[in-house]
Amino acid sequence: MARPEARLKELKPADLRHEVGARRDLVVTVNRRSERRLIAYGDDFMYEKLPVGTRVIYPPPPLEALPDPDQAIRYALLRPENAEPLFAQLNPNMRVTIAIDDISLPLPPMRRPDIRERILNQVLQTLADYGVDDVHLIIATSLHRRMTEAEIRRMVGEKAFKQFWPERLYNFDGENRAELVMLGKSDHGEEVWLSKRAAESDLLIYANLNLVPMDGGHKSVAVGLAPYQSLRHHHNPATLRDSHSYMDPPHSALHRSANRMGRVVNEHVNVFTVETAINTRMYGGMLDFLHKNEDRFTDWDRTRVNGFRWTLRNLSNDMRRRMLQQYASPYGMTGVWAGETEAVHQKALAKVYQQYCVPVTGQSDILILGVPFICPYNVNSIMNPVLVQSTGLGYLFNMYRGQPLVRAGGTVIICHPLRDEFHPEHHPSYIEFFHRCLAETTDGMELEKNFEREFAANPTYIHMYRYGHAYHGVHPFYMWYWGEPARQHAGRVIAAGCEEPEVAARLGWDAADTLDEAIAMATADLGRSATITYLHLPPLVIADVE
Amino acid sequence: MSVYRSRPARNGRPRPARRAAFYDLDGTLADLNLVHAALFVLANLGEWTGRAGYLLSFAARLPRLYFAEQRDRRLLNTVLFDAFKGISGDRLAELGEEYCDRVLIGHLYPQAVDMLEANRAAGLDPVLVTGSPDFIVAPLARHLRIAEFVANRLAMVGGRATGRLAEPVMAAEEKAAWCASFAAARNFDLGACWAYADSHYDLPFLAAVGHPVAVNPSSRLRAAARGRQWPILHFARNDDAESAGFDDDSVADSAEERLRRRSDGAA
Repeated sequence: MARPEARLKELKPADLRHEVGARRDLVVTVNRRSERRLIAYGDDFMYEKLPVGTRVIYPPPPLEALPDPDQAIRYALLRPENAEPLFAQLNPNMRVTIAIDDISLPLPPMRRPDIRERILNQVLQTLADYGVDDVHLIIATSLHRRMTEAEIRRMVGEKAFKQFWPERLYNFDGENRAELVMLGKSDHGEEVWLSKRAAESDLLIYANLNLVPMDGGHKSVAVGLAPYQSLRHHHNPATLRDSHSYMDPPHSALHRSANRMGRVVNEHVNVFTVETAINTRMYGGMLDFLHKNEDRFTDWDRTRVNGFRWTLRNLSNDMRRRMLQQYASPYGMTGVWAGETEAVHQKALAKVYQQYCVPVTGQSDILILGVPFICPYNVNSIMNPVLVQSTGLGYLFNMYRGQPLVRAGGTVIICHPLRDEFHPEHHPSYIEFFHRCLAETTDGMELEKNFEREFAANPTYIHMYRYGHAYHGVHPFYMWYWGEPARQHAGRVIAAGCEEPEVAARLGWDAADTLDEAIAMATADLGRSATITYLHLPPLVIADVE
Repeated sequence: MSVYRSRPARNGRPRPARRAAFYDLDGTLADLNLVHAALFVLANLGEWTGRAGYLLSFAARLPRLYFAEQRDRRLLNTVLFDAFKGISGDRLAELGEEYCDRVLIGHLYPQAVDMLEANRAAGLDPVLVTGSPDFIVAPLARHLRIAEFVANRLAMVGGRATGRLAEPVMAAEEKAAWCASFAAARNFDLGACWAYADSHYDLPFLAAVGHPVAVNPSSRLRAAARGRQWPILHFARNDDAESAGFDDDSVADSAEERLRRRSDGAA
């Protein structure tokens, strides 16, 4: 792997100045005079003094957003990568399908207009100009829950919604056997299934939004429009254990598998990909202190922190969740590319790395991660313990390239209250998974062998996935597998601020009432000289660990 | 209701526990309730003068039925079944068949029939547990190929209904008790069984199994299901499914068409 400095050398001079200037103080070592640090703690924040010597890694500041996103999209459609311009591929008799990323991205949801709405408006106008009438819009949910009518309307915008809903704008259904087709097998024997409508289209346009490097590329079509029969080839413990990390696609077996399957798709279907990248402007206005280094807090910032925490503390769990879930982020679009899947993805990936990566030297013994109130699978829903696990050990642990931030056998401290709370309409199979399967074993391989097929074929869960708004029956297994690399790597996981120790025990974790207690438990094992790293969120950051 | 006896396997070892799916009927598998069934039966009895008498008598009972529904499901059943007093068992059986064929099957939720079949394929034996009268449930069970069912039975004297219900009256706790005894007798693992119901009166019935599911729940059952973290299902009629924008054409097929297709396939 190239050293982080080498990556910086690849940048243009203007970008380089921005990078070096902006990233100078992103790795901070806590001393005696340091301020307390804000740590995401479910639907609240901890505000804690960290031990002297703790290394805090801050996300880079947001990149400059494109001044005119609509113009940029128009340009990308006219000047695509390794492909004819969109208009040149159109004729009035053709069948076109547009697939769109679902509500799992970005987090929190972005302010209107959503980038997908902007892309759709441009693409649909081009299709109309060239007389293409046979157009369907499919939300690429794969095994995620069906988006509600209101969520779809908000995402695609009024214009597309009024024109296409519900006959020609709908959620993908991975259990509607009549609407699925097997395209073939990859050279590794992986079955490639796809939405029949998409597979039989003359042109498949994918409107994507990249939040992190894990997203986009072949993963968009080959996963977003695919059922369980396809996903089981890479969403399994063996493949995920060989992914180091999910944020580093060349070193991720998950992405290698998705790429193999995506290439099979592209052999059969004319795919025109539109990928976008956004900056990290997650919180603005009164909440912009969440992006700051606490050592630079002004009195106004401290007042806002205390006021924000006081408000959160004095709301009921339900009200607090609703309030946080209603927040929409003022993200800015930093790039848009269109054309052939792999060429487009390379460009998008470079931009995403430019936004997120921070060079870091060496691993530490203890890694502190604050799990926020939201993850890709609980938008307008509840963050249940299985999702806390997948966010902490799956997503946040994997926010690295090169080496994990914590050494092998080290301790990961997850800050979250860990309540035994589930959304029965969104996550019904999670409830059974947590209370029945995890009670028997926490080993991913055993869970896959003993329970996965049963859950995947469970008629109640299939019904709720197809006609309700539930995640597929097999989804909690995938969330559990997501944490496999971290479970293999870390020696111990401690839940700090845990309100229900039995929940932590069910996940195979230790519980501590406070962060101080969790650190004391970890250092009791690893010695008082144990090094500590805190990955500061929000927004997101990827550590390039040498 | 039948009498069961648990028998050991021939090799002397205990039989592996089986799994069942218990279904309530009214509001769960079909969008009808007991009052519809009673009205159909009373409106199709003998000459029109007889019908008028029965219907007027039923109308007079409506306030009592309303208050009974508010208070206790068992009381509701008792008041409602009293309306059948004096009708011959033969006639009830005939009307039950007719009601099932002409009305009930057309009102089954297509998605419920799919789920029942999918559960059967997944190894869950279907069992109907309902407060509806047995003369309606029996033909429906035959139609759905459900071997086991329990329903409310009218006490008969001299071939005519007395208007009283024979014990056990299938409502609330009685349903749960019946499921427990049925499971014990037939070697079902109740913890691995599923139950589907729509009313808060069915809370004990749902709580008796390891996998309770609230179907089109009443507001009180919905609150209870959310509190207990039980899955909540919504079965839609054909027209509802179409308006909800499902892209699956087969949703628009009626339960009757689905059943016919299945029996054609089996043949």
